[in-house]
This record gives sequence, structure tokens and C-alpha cells, in this order.
Amino acid sequence: MSLPDEPERRGFSRRAFIKGASVAAVTSAGVAAANLAQAPQEPKSFAIGEHEVELKINGQQRKLKVETRTTLLDALRDRLDLTGAKKICDRGACGGCTVHVDGHAVNSCMMLAIDAIGSEVTTIESLTQGEQVHPLVQNFATCDAMQCGFCTPGMVMSSLACLQRRGKPTREQVQHDLSGNICRCGTYGRIFEAVERTAEGATK
Amino acid sequence: MSNVEQPRPGEVELKVGFPGHYETRKFQVPEGDAPPWDANTKFTVVGSDEPRVDGVMKASGRAKYSYDVTFKGILYGMILRSPVARGKLTGLELDEARSMPGVAAVLALKELGNKVRFVGDEIAAVAAPTLDQCRDAIEKIRATYESEAHNVDFLSAEDGPLVDDSGEYTEPWAEDSGMEKALAESKVQLTGTYRTEVQTHSSLETHGAVAKWNGADLELWASTQATFGVRGEIAQAMQAAKVKCDSVTLHAEFVGGGFGSKFSGGAETRAVALLAHATQTPVKLMLDRFEEHTCTGNRPASLMHIRAGLSADGILTAWDWRSFGGCGHNGGGGGVAMPNHFLNTAKKRTTHKDIATDTDPARPMRAPGHPQGFFGAELFLDELAAKAGIDPLELRRKNDQQPIRQAQYTLGSETFGWQAGRNPKPGSPMPGDDARYLRGVGMATARWGTLGSHGGRTPHAALCRIHQDGGVETRNGAQDIGVGNKTMMAILTAEELGIPVANVKAVMGHTSDPSGPASGGSTTTPSIAPAVRLAAYQAKLELGKLAAKHLDISEDKITWAGGKIGADGKWLTFAEACKLIGPNPIEARGQRFPNYKGEPIENGVCGVQFAEVLVDTWTGLVKVTRMLALQDCGVVIAKKTAESQVLGAMIQGISYALYEQRLMDKRSGRMLNGDFLRYKVIGSIDMPPMQAILQTVFNGHSNTSAAGLGEPPSVAAPAAIANAVFNAIGVAVRHLPITPDKVLRALNQRGGN
Repeated sequence: MSLPDEPERRGFSRRAFIKGASVAAVTSAGVAAANLAQAPQEPKSFAIGEHEVELKINGQQRKLKVETRTTLLDALRDRLDLTGAKKICDRGACGGCTVHVDGHAVNSCMMLAIDAIGSEVTTIESLTQGEQVHPLVQNFATCDAMQCGFCTPGMVMSSLACLQRRGKPTREQVQHDLSGNICRCGTYGRIFEAVERTAEGATK
Repeated sequence: MSNVEQPRPGEVELKVGFPGHYETRKFQVPEGDAPPWDANTKFTVVGSDEPRVDGVMKASGRAKYSYDVTFKGILYGMILRSPVARGKLTGLELDEARSMPGVAAVLALKELGNKVRFVGDEIAAVAAPTLDQCRDAIEKIRATYESEAHNVDFLSAEDGPLVDDSGEYTEPWAEDSGMEKALAESKVQLTGTYRTEVQTHSSLETHGAVAKWNGADLELWASTQATFGVRGEIAQAMQAAKVKCDSVTLHAEFVGGGFGSKFSGGAETRAVALLAHATQTPVKLMLDRFEEHTCTGNRPASLMHIRAGLSADGILTAWDWRSFGGCGHNGGGGGVAMPNHFLNTAKKRTTHKDIATDTDPARPMRAPGHPQGFFGAELFLDELAAKAGIDPLELRRKNDQQPIRQAQYTLGSETFGWQAGRNPKPGSPMPGDDARYLRGVGMATARWGTLGSHGGRTPHAALCRIHQDGGVETRNGAQDIGVGNKTMMAILTAEELGIPVANVKAVMGHTSDPSGPASGGSTTTPSIAPAVRLAAYQAKLELGKLAAKHLDISEDKITWAGGKIGADGKWLTFAEACKLIGPNPIEARGQRFPNYKGEPIENGVCGVQFAEVLVDTWTGLVKVTRMLALQDCGVVIAKKTAESQVLGAMIQGISYALYEQRLMDKRSGRMLNGDFLRYKVIGSIDMPPMQAILQTVFNGHSNTSAAGLGEPPSVAAPAAIANAVFNAIGVAVRHLPITPDKVLRALNQRGGN
């Protein structure tokens, strides 16, 4: 099977449309989805059923089998055992599955795996290299910005996008950029602190 | 740093209490327990800022929850659920589903002719290599039902409470001449009806499990807050396969929230065990969000009708209370807890009735019954205070005899700025505020009445191992659902052994380790902590014996100081002493003894919370602008995780007070907002600044004076917020959540803005 150079269905899928419409108003993830949706594509099609595709995940080309309807989240978790992104709502309403696609925070439950072909997908796993973790991860631990921890990887990825976009965000900007992520245990305040510590350069 | 004291059985004098209120009291310490800590104990790491031991694991995404566990060739499971709210199952054809691509098993979960009790009742389960294939197969199951008339609203139930258009309960009070007399003799009387709606637990990791059979043995990875309970439940469910408890191992190393909904493995865990058994392949079955909202329990709705009387000097003299719980199909679990601590001499009467509806049954949720009951009672108290012209904080001071809360009233009102924050003219803008916004502050109290136990018939225990390379393990088979129990265990062990916390590995969540409680009722920490400490203490005695022999000094002279072991100028570091151990580790077991007999300061945990709100009179939107909690924590062991728990409870309290409610479609019996788009949970932009003041209280209950913090900080927040809204707008919104429509209606009552 020959792979298209660009994911031709990107921008036209129901999921991408819903995501753009439902989240764009409140989150940076939504803004990213809208940007993705603008890439003009030559229409090509995958037949219904399973296909072997290649995705670029955390800098590595990974081959995997997915159906056309398989979400990026299910592909990451169930095909590649990258389980840092969590499936919590599966409807783009909680941010627990946040990954970066071409540098933008995206709810991976709202994107089809085949729509990620040709894009750079970055997951929470990329923030650990051996024993070393990204300062943002370390600051989440230092500030105790978690309890059960199930929302935490998604929070970290949304926070990372916030930092990458804004450098030194204000408290209001952090609150705004994390408004697509739900934490049920109630750790928001300490998450804000972890983001701000990271912006200030703290690494311990 | 401490000398090793020999256990002191029998009566022991302990300095108990809290700063400003210490007393020496006598307690019976069981033989074999570690010498109890009290207010004279000098701690090294207990109460310090040690980080959560698995914080980096969680934040880096490396922590493996049950949802994340996988095996090569694993199958996925899915459940078909009833679209009918009440009736019975009349037909179930599974063959077409069985013939679908990839499908490995299809099982009936309900027998023909059995009752269907709510929308979401389990009917059948499938297993297939992908979730997509499961979904395809589920669609091919033909189930037919005979449906009956259903009711999903407890106020519409035949035996439900009757309310009028204004929301007031209309039934006359049962005769009680004593009550009538007490009310007639009081100076100020008030009557009111208060209501709350159904809240779902909304744990982010849904219920479910991975099951894997190894021959006749079953291994389960379950998202549960009761490892031992669920193991027993599944062993019993698998009796037909000749399974007993000893052949089931359950793991719950990381759990994505529970809040009271995960005591039972439920239909999903039974189904996954059966599917894995039928296919002889590992199967993962995790519920989706709609199932989580509609099939895994909830905090039930409530209605409280209260009347009371206040004497001329502000003492409650009569308190008449009747309440109803709006429950699920089993008609249970709707109890409403009332704050008893203001009713010392008052003539008191309480009645309660649970009302069944054709919905998912209630399950315990963080301080079951308390946020509801305290909301009703404490808002009622503020209304009563307003009617009597008394400051509501003063009313509580006068009627509450608990010294811990009395101290919290004082500290809280100073820290929060109670006097300056109160709106002197409720319903009018505060000086300096835009006329559009009304500001107010409120407060409320909390009590939680348990401090853990030794485990009833079978005492809890913990294991401590010290290895020759200096590695130390502390283990218990209960679960840490995110509250920080592992961190607590590591800190206690480090304190006892005089070593850094980082040198201790705390392991929880495996039924192969010593038994521990279900995480419910804030009992996990107070139940486990004394056993963990005793295990470390016993291991320390063993290491001391080795050191004594090596140093050629008598065992009773051995002293532990500054991380060193020895006496008389002969010292070993902890690492040097460990080298004496050999290949088999020191292994010591600590048992949880019953709570000490004696005179405790309080048989529970006390708290007070304050809230400030800003009400937008144009939109009816309420914003909490700051909050303060004063929380009795027993002895604070892990300060950071304890703070997180208190702050989290306050945040959940805002969510319950202002946003959360299950909306049911009366016609179909289906939840209308069974997702996170329409079931509103507090988010980052709703967050006010908040502060939690933790108070160490030596309660004298155990060798550590530990307390749990799941429930205690969850009680007061909704009431404090409702009282703040009352202070801001001058009208009590007696029905949670306080949504804009209710606020606008209340503002209209006030006579326009």
C-alpha cells in the first residue's frame, strides 16, 4: 500500500470538525485544531478497514496497523503502548489525552490516526530521557500538582504548549490555556504553580 | 532521632491536643505496640515538605494504571446496556455478534425474564481484538425488553416528599408536644426546605479491569479502592470455575480516582474475569464516560426540611429535622448527615426516608451525606442568625463546645478577615465595588466521626524489610488512590529508622502484601499508619540486635542518634549496620492494634471553612473569589499530600455548590448530560486563590495519632459558599447547585437590582 504524502482527510473528518467547533472557543488546543484544518489537501482516500501506516512519534517512525476510524489516542495507547496519554472522556472534553501535533496541543481522542500521517506527534513519553525528566515534569512533582495523577500527563502537555507559546505566561494565561483540561481531584492551583516555576527556570 | 524505648504496655500518659490546648491524658496502650508519639515527640521528617514518592512517575506518564496494563494479544471487552429504565429482558440473541470479525466471546450478563432496573443495566458482554470490533459486535446483539412505567425523579415518586411551587415541603409536622413547646418558648423561629441534586463521582479513570488467567489462577489489575474486597468479590463470582480467594491476585498500584465509587468490582470486573476465562486470553474492559456517569454510582439527591428555635441569648433550643434521600433502584444510601455539634441542650428530633427511583443506585461519595446535610443545616443557621440579628460566626461560637473548632473560629476569622469581608448590607454592593456585583463571605463547619480502626475481625498489618544494601521496603496491600498513602508510609518508616525518605520504597496495591482497609471513610491512613510505624520499629529492634552483637554492647544500651546506631562511643552508620544483615532481609510485621482506650480530645476530625463570592447581578453567575480551610489533620505526616487533599476537597466543594448536577430525561429515563461537555465540573478558570491551614492534633488514638483527610475537608465547602451567596445577595438560595437561573430568581425576590 502506498502512503499518501499528506493525510488527505485532515480537515474534513467529523472528529476534526467537532473538535474545532467545540473547543476552539476556549482552548489553545482548539486554536491548533483550527490551524490544522486549514491545510489544503488533495483528496485521497483510505478504504474502510485496517491499514498499515507509518506515524512519526517522538522523532521516530513507527509502523502500525490501524483502521480508518481508529483515533490517534487509541493508536498510541493500544497499538504502540504509549499509555501516558489517558482516555478519560473520548470526546475532546477533558484534555487527558493531550499530545502535540506539529507543535500544537491536540486532543488525540478527536483526531484520527490516519490524519496524523506526515505530522510530528509528540507525547508525554518524550519528556523522559533515561533518568532525566523535563523540568516541567519535575516541577509538577515538586509542587505536588497531582493527586490520583490520571489527568496529569495531559495537564503537563497542555502546560508545555502554554510555555512554548507564551514563554512567561501570566496566571490568567495559564488558567486560560489549561481550561480544556479537567482535574477531578482538584489540583489546579498547584498546577499553575508548577507552570510558573518552570517559566521562572526552576528545575528542582 | 530517638532512643529505642522498650514497648510500654498498659497505661501511658500522653500529651495530647494542639497548640494552645495541650493536656496530659491517660491511654491504654496495647502490649507489643511501639511507644506512642505525642506532643513531646521531636520529628525529623514527619510533617515535613517531602514530595509525593510517586510524583515523577505520575507526571511523566510512566505510572501504569489498570487502564494502561496490556499484554501481547490482549482482547478488549465491552458491555451492552439496557436502553430501558424499568421492565424485564424478554429476548437476547447473541449468535450474530459471535460471528462478527475478530469476536472471541459473547456472554449474557442477564438472564431472560430478569428485571431491568435502570438505563445502563448490564445485559451482555463481548470480547474482541479491538474496541472498534467490540462496538461492531455489540450492535449485532438483539435484545428485547418488556418495559414498564418508570420514574427517575424522587420528587415525583409516590412516596416522595411533596413540595409546592416555591420549593417548600408541604407535609405537616408529626405531632410532638415537647417540640412544639420548645419552639414556642424560643425567641426566634425559622422553617425552611433545602435541596441538593445528584452528583456523579466522575473519577477520571473509569471503572474496569484487566483479567489474565494463569492456569487456574486469576490475576486482576483493577481500578478499585478496595483491593481485598474486590478480590473476594470476584473469587465468589467465579466459584463455578472452582476459584477461591487464594487463587486470585489483584493489583491496583495506581488508581485514577475513586471518591467512594470503587468499593465494588461490579458487573464490569465480573464480566472481564468471565471473558478472560472463556477466551483463555487476557482481556481489558474499561467503561466509557457515559457508563461511568450512569452505571457506577453517585451522591444521591436530598431534601431537608428544618425548623428550629433560638433563645434570647442565641442558643439553639429546638431543632426539628426531616430529610429524604433521592436514591437509585435499590432505594438505599441516601442518608443525610446533620451537624450535631450545635445541639447540645436543644430539644431535637430527626427523621429520614430514602426514596427509590429507576436509576443507578447511590454509592458512598466523599463524606457520604455530609455535604448535603451540612449545606442544609448551615445555610439554615445563617438564615436563623440573620433573623435574630446575630453574626453567624458568633452563633456557632455560642453553640459549639468543641475546643478544636473554637480555635479554628478564632484563627479563621482573623486569617480570612471575617469582619471586613462580611457584606454589612446583604443585597447591596460593598463599598468600592461596581454596582453590578454583590460580594459576600460565609463560613461553615465540618466534623467527620471516625479515626480508622484495627480492622475488626482481622487486624490490618504492614511489612518492613531492611536489606543488607541499605534498601528499605514498607508494604501494605491496600491501595493509594491518589491521597498519598505511599508517601505517608515512606515518611513514617524513614522517621522511625532515622534515614532519608528517598531511601524507603513504599509499595501498595497488591493483595500479596499484608491486609489493609478499603479506602473509605478517611480510614486508610489512620488504620495503616500505626501498623507501618510498628513494622519499622520492630525492624529497627532487629537491626539494633545485630549492631549490639557486632559492637559487643548490650542490646538495651543501643541508641539511635543522627542516623547512627550504637552506644558508648561505638557507632555504626545505618548503612554499616545493614551490612550485618546477610542475604535474607530483616522482615518485620507490624499489626494494627485497636484504637487506644482513654479520653481522646475528639473522636473524629474537626474543620472550618470560609468562602468569599462575587455575584454578577446581570447574569446570575457566582464566582468564588477566595477560600480558606482550617483542618484538623490528626498528626500531619506528609504535609504536601495532606494539603493537596484539603485543597482538592475545597475545589470539589465549589464544583458541587455551583455546577454539578445529573440531568435526567424523565421520558426515556436516560441521563442527558452523561459526558464532560454537559456535566460541568470545575475547571482552571473557575479557580480562586485558596489557602489550607493544617493543624496537627495529637488525638491519642494510636501510636501515630494519624487521621485521614478524604472526608473531613469535603464537608464544609458547599455550605460556606451558599452562606457567602446569602451574605452577598441577602436571599438564601436553598437549592444546590447555585446556578445562574436560581440566583436571578433569588435576586428578583429581593426586589430587582
